[in-house]
Amino acid sequence: MQPYELTLADAARRIRARELSPVELVDSVLDRIGTVDPHVGAYVAVTAEHARAAAREAEREAARGAFRGPLHGVPAGLKDLIDVAGSPTSASSRVREGHRAAADSTVAARLRAAGSVLVGKTHTHEFAYGLTTPQTGNAWDRGRVAGGSSGGSAVAVAAGAATFALGTDTGGSIRVPAALNGVVGLKPTYGLVPRHGVTSLSWSLDHVGPVTRTVEDAALVLGVLAGHDPRDPASLDLPALDHAAHLTEGEPDLTGVRVGVPRDYYFDHVDPEVEAAVRRGIAELAALGARLVDVDIPMTRYIQATQWGLMVPEATAYHEGTLRTVPDRYQADVRILLEAGELMGAGDYLRAQRSRTLMREEWARMQEEVDVIAAPSVPMTAVKADQTTVTWADGTAEAVSDAYVRLSAPANITGVPALSVPVGHDTAGMPIGMQLLGRPFGEQALLRVGHAYERTQSARSLAPVA
Amino acid sequence: MSPADLTPPEAARWAARAGLHLPDDRHAAAAATANHIHSVVAVLRELDFGDTPPAGAYRATAGAYRAGKEKHDAAV
Repeated sequence: MQPYELTLADAARRIRARELSPVELVDSVLDRIGTVDPHVGAYVAVTAEHARAAAREAEREAARGAFRGPLHGVPAGLKDLIDVAGSPTSASSRVREGHRAAADSTVAARLRAAGSVLVGKTHTHEFAYGLTTPQTGNAWDRGRVAGGSSGGSAVAVAAGAATFALGTDTGGSIRVPAALNGVVGLKPTYGLVPRHGVTSLSWSLDHVGPVTRTVEDAALVLGVLAGHDPRDPASLDLPALDHAAHLTEGEPDLTGVRVGVPRDYYFDHVDPEVEAAVRRGIAELAALGARLVDVDIPMTRYIQATQWGLMVPEATAYHEGTLRTVPDRYQADVRILLEAGELMGAGDYLRAQRSRTLMREEWARMQEEVDVIAAPSVPMTAVKADQTTVTWADGTAEAVSDAYVRLSAPANITGVPALSVPVGHDTAGMPIGMQLLGRPFGEQALLRVGHAYERTQSARSLAPVA
Repeated sequence: MSPADLTPPEAARWAARAGLHLPDDRHAAAAATANHIHSVVAVLRELDFGDTPPAGAYRATAGAYRAGKEKHDAAV
């Protein structure tokens, strides 16, 4: 096994045992980027020299027995909405030509302090306003969409071109590409991970979180990212939790855990192969002792309206200046959404905010009955890059981007944590994701259930790129 | 086209009121996209909000944090 193939947890164990040097690991990942990135286009920029220097420093520290934690010497890719001091934050957009971040974002600073080695910045759908990331090919079939908007991060992790990565999620942008590329993606509770220094799409819906090979890896990264920073007004000052502490290495056991299975919404207009794989995953949770509880998802008719009513005007507000000064630098799909957002009235925005109040209350009531909810992450696997609509069995046509957002949006509106875990492939070989949704700050329960499921499965291989 | 839909000239005028000059060749597309967005968000008018205040953002409380943690601690 090559170092680039290691999970974060395995790499950390070997680095700690001095069986693997950070220099070997980072060189291996950089070589892998050189092999696969010409095929998949996951990276905007690779910072090889900086990475090698940081790896040598991590190696010097390891040689004298100084370990900063599980991320010590571990290479990471950051979605290119996340500021790193001295580097451009391109947002995968010509609008940002000439940009250079003056300081690290909170999450970049925390990764750096934890000893992680930044190997590069990964592609996003322009300014995170889309679900496909057209610059990047799917890690399993480059003719299919990577998913988005954190497409570069998910493809890099799936292909072995980063040991882990960070993404952002406003309407599924971590979970969608994670599901479509067969990796793990975690959208934490709103307010748990600070967004200072991260380009916004929609302030009230944006989250930052990890994209990893395993659930255990996601827990290790979350432990470094979480914690209060007053520079993000949404950041909450709450006691730190050890998110990896409850991931036992004994026999997986979910006795006493109540898993909600939606009777509606999450299994409507879902590809039969996706539904079958997710239901097999849920059956596996039951076989581990979990009790399955039927749940009814509240206010489903108003989910898309609430998501759009919040996101559209907030995104337009963020881009108000550059939409007037350099509109021609936006891609056509993003520009028209920003322009149309200028035409939405405050009444629509306030109705969406009041709907969020109601939805949050209804979800809190529903979640009193369960510890986690299990559902598909996305209704269908990665579509061909030129496919724009999907037609369901009842003849209903849906835009591909609307379909990919549909099952993710509730967790953005309500702020609850959500984790996408791979649960197999369809007959075309494309990955399928199961979504676990928790109560606010229920990350430990999500990670415990996801980890238990993963341990019933054989280890996943990297995507067969190149 | 519903009576509430914006025509291309109306879209241009509304954009101008918001301080955005739309070139002539963008009026039709802006109107069509704005009308589609309107058709999606308009369903919120069905809701009876009563005294419900707006939630500017999800705001978790220390109580929600403790509840989530206690639930988890009870489950493990």
